[in-house]
Amino acid sequence: MSEERDSGTNNNSSFGFSGTTTNNRGYLSYYGPGGRMLLVESALEAVSRGSTTIGIKTSTFALTSSHIKPTRPLMEPSEKIFTIDEHVGATGSGYIGDILQLIDELRLEAQKHRLTFESPIDIASLVKHLSSYLHTYTIYAVRPQAASIIIAGKDQMGTQMYQVDPGGTYFRGSAFTIGQSSDVALDVIQHEYSADMTPEQAIQISRKAIEKAVGEQKPLVDTGIISVTEQLFKKL
Amino acid sequence: MTTIVGIKTKEGVVLGSDKRASKGFFIGSKITQKISKIDDTLAIAIAGQLSDAEHLVKVAKAERRLVELRRGFPLSVKESTRLIANLAYSGLKNYQPYFVELLVGGVDDEGGHVYVADMSGAITGEDFAASGSGSPIAYGVLESIYHKEITNEQAKEIATKAVAAAMERDPGSGNGIDILVIPKLLIVKSTKEARG
Repeated sequence: MSEERDSGTNNNSSFGFSGTTTNNRGYLSYYGPGGRMLLVESALEAVSRGSTTIGIKTSTFALTSSHIKPTRPLMEPSEKIFTIDEHVGATGSGYIGDILQLIDELRLEAQKHRLTFESPIDIASLVKHLSSYLHTYTIYAVRPQAASIIIAGKDQMGTQMYQVDPGGTYFRGSAFTIGQSSDVALDVIQHEYSADMTPEQAIQISRKAIEKAVGEQKPLVDTGIISVTEQLFKKL
Repeated sequence: MTTIVGIKTKEGVVLGSDKRASKGFFIGSKITQKISKIDDTLAIAIAGQLSDAEHLVKVAKAERRLVELRRGFPLSVKESTRLIANLAYSGLKNYQPYFVELLVGGVDDEGGHVYVADMSGAITGEDFAASGSGSPIAYGVLESIYHKEITNEQAKEIATKAVAAAMERDPGSGNGIDILVIPKLLIVKSTKEARG
């Protein structure tokens, strides 16, 4: 009888855990059908249920904004825009606990760079550190961080914007949307984006995008911005 | 032992050194290279224990390559010096100091720089500097001739004079002079975007 090959679609009963499967030899497998990484995909799914979060960048500024889900009366909502260092800010979508952990990792790396080189960290190095940090969670039997992070900052190369996903994948670009109905938000930004808009216009666009995405009038939105004319990343 | 000098100019930076390596009262080598090129924009002049200095230079070289590949643009002269000074400082605090005094000379977006990094881990930015047993004599020459509007060609001459004067009276220095000129970058500011 020929050996049955792991189809990946077999049961996961031996662990009772949908993020992994077991192959015919009984070993735990992180890969699913078609070579997909199940745990990472689950993390991405969790991110897509998170609050709608946006990053917009032109050559003169980089802006991050995030929807703050309404909380119960008397309860303060948690902050969603984070200063990483003087010249860098970040926001995220997914499990807030995971986001906070990653934010702290970024802050730590930024200060380590200052100690080592006596200069502010460049955004590419910061992003690469976060990427490799997240990547380690994809090669061991642990839960990947269920958070995507948008990083906005400036360095010698000008304004910078990146999105980093739970698997460690990262993208460089001028606009990102993550979280709930992020495709709706991205549609709005794609229509209204122009390379020479003012920060005020960008704030309006990001508000509109979040409004459309969450289907709510006047949603609570947290915003942060860094521009070439000012030294610091500012929370608005 | 040794005489090394570094001079910042409006066109870049000039480093100079003698070529003698002393073993006590014996001349161990007459053709020592005391100026190490890290790359086209940075060099380090070495005074002190050669093995310690060589190690620091090797680490600086590797780290500079690595950082440039990762972030898409090179370390500044100050960043490179701080990196070396951190190694020196941790050595000192672990009771295994690097017995060196280094002159770090290079050019970046801001122009030429000369930094002095010693075994204590301290760094100072200077217009000109000298180090090694011949440095008091070299300083005498540098102090009397240096001015801020100096060109690379003039700095080359002054560096040669300073090291030559030290070689005349300092028994730890001699056997010829090495000079390295690093001209300022032609590109004022890199417009290339970081990739990957």
